[in-house]
Amino acid sequence: MQTIVIVEGERVLREELSVLLQNAGYQVKCITEFQEVAKQLKEAKADLILLDINLPVVNGEVILQDFRKTSDVPVIMLTSRIDEMDEVLSMSFGADDYITKPYNPTILLLRISAVLKRGRKESQVVTYRDLEVSTVKGSLIRGEEEQVLTKNEMIIFHFLLEHTGEIVSRDDLMTALWDNEEYLNDNALSVNISRLRTKLADLGVDDAIETRKKQGYILK
Amino acid sequence: MRLGRFLQDRLIALVIYIVTLALFYIFMKAYAVDLQAFVAILIVYVLAVSSSLCWDYFRKRDFYRKLLTDVEGLDKKYLVSEMIDHAGFYEGEILLDVLKDCNKSMAEQVASYRKSSNDFREYIEMWVHEIKIPVAAIRLICHNNPELDHRLVQQVKLIDDDINNVLFYSRSEHAHKDYRIKEVKLNKVFGNVALGNRQALQLMNAMLETEGLDISVMTDDKWLEFILGQIVSNSMKYHATDRDLHIQVFAVESEDAVELHCRDNGIGIPSSDLSRVFDKTFTGENGRTGAKSTGMGLFIVKKLCDQLGHGIRILSEVNQYTEVILTFPKNDYYKM
Repeated sequence: MQTIVIVEGERVLREELSVLLQNAGYQVKCITEFQEVAKQLKEAKADLILLDINLPVVNGEVILQDFRKTSDVPVIMLTSRIDEMDEVLSMSFGADDYITKPYNPTILLLRISAVLKRGRKESQVVTYRDLEVSTVKGSLIRGEEEQVLTKNEMIIFHFLLEHTGEIVSRDDLMTALWDNEEYLNDNALSVNISRLRTKLADLGVDDAIETRKKQGYILK
Repeated sequence: MRLGRFLQDRLIALVIYIVTLALFYIFMKAYAVDLQAFVAILIVYVLAVSSSLCWDYFRKRDFYRKLLTDVEGLDKKYLVSEMIDHAGFYEGEILLDVLKDCNKSMAEQVASYRKSSNDFREYIEMWVHEIKIPVAAIRLICHNNPELDHRLVQQVKLIDDDINNVLFYSRSEHAHKDYRIKEVKLNKVFGNVALGNRQALQLMNAMLETEGLDISVMTDDKWLEFILGQIVSNSMKYHATDRDLHIQVFAVESEDAVELHCRDNGIGIPSSDLSRVFDKTFTGENGRTGAKSTGMGLFIVKKLCDQLGHGIRILSEVNQYTEVILTFPKNDYYKM
């Protein structure tokens, strides 16, 4: 399980963020004492840090600068000010990504998983049951058989795969698709899901994607 | 300064001169002085009076002529007192002193208003950033508690949009350079706008089509995001009820500019209103008949475009389409 450290000055936001990340399957540590944050961050042994800019005592930019001297753990900056982030980026303090308040929670989770994935360098082969998932070729492979997926089908399958065994809502799938600049509407999503099912069935996996009424889909 | 008016102004003095002459004549007649002597005095007197009038007229004419042409030529007319050092005659000096005093007092007034307007702007911006914290908290709470009504999220989105309107209105009204021009990918900016409006668009069963957005322009990404957000939200506001909304966004690159077209199949804008859509608080036909309009959206958009140096124009046909075209001139100067 990966650990995410939250450095957020506002108590309500900190608590809700922590619930959000725990629900998404991360281990969460919160920093509540804002003295010597950089030191606390080093001790926390995090896989990723969410760092607010407007903090009591010392602001987030300074903390990041301090922290970057000794560590390259990925950091996502949280900011409420539209102009503030440009400042940080232009000074290249070494943030991996940033997101402005009020963030869409699903997008925040997508960004987090993207940054974590970048860190892992994506070396291992992704598989589902006995299927090999080739992101390079955009296809599912079982031995000699191969089914080419469209970009949309691949995004959907990937998202389901990352949440295997969990219910994924249509809304989350839509966010994932739109985040990849695929602006599908409701009907198109249904069509893509049913095509994906057919392709999986052709490879001999019949019952992979199950529909949960009014909740979404689940990849078993 | 006209001679006629100048003399008219001195009518009483002229009458006194003539009366004096008449008195001279009467006295001379009474002492039986020769008429020739009177004629000589008359000539000298008229010469003296007219030459002194001429001298007075010309020096004043020069001063006032310079003053008037300066005022006419100046963009900021209140600066005229700075243009003239000294009048060269007493009344002129008084006038200049008064002008300079007025100018100084006005400058003080303006400075105090500028300060209070700046204070207000700073307060508004601070407030905007403060209010975003509870809005962010509500969003997270909604997401963490899926049993809550999903319409809450929609309403929070509306609040957030309106908050952004305030922020950008405040920025567009003040000539502060809050923006940072850099190379920005159109698909990234539009992607953010689309994601932000995704739920609302899907509730309308809208179709969104993009083409050729994989292109960079010189702009400020946050400002452009706001501009595109306004355009998309207008498309949603003014959609035709008898058909599903269809938005096409495509970029066209030419030699010296990139044009971004946002076209919808909505109710369109009457041609009589088209020239005024960028005016402040102009709501037009559509504002009266359909959705609520404040007439601020496009006004702010236009101002932001002007500051960023982007062109904006709108083509439309009633009940057919509305197409907003943003032009990003190519300028290598920024790329250095």
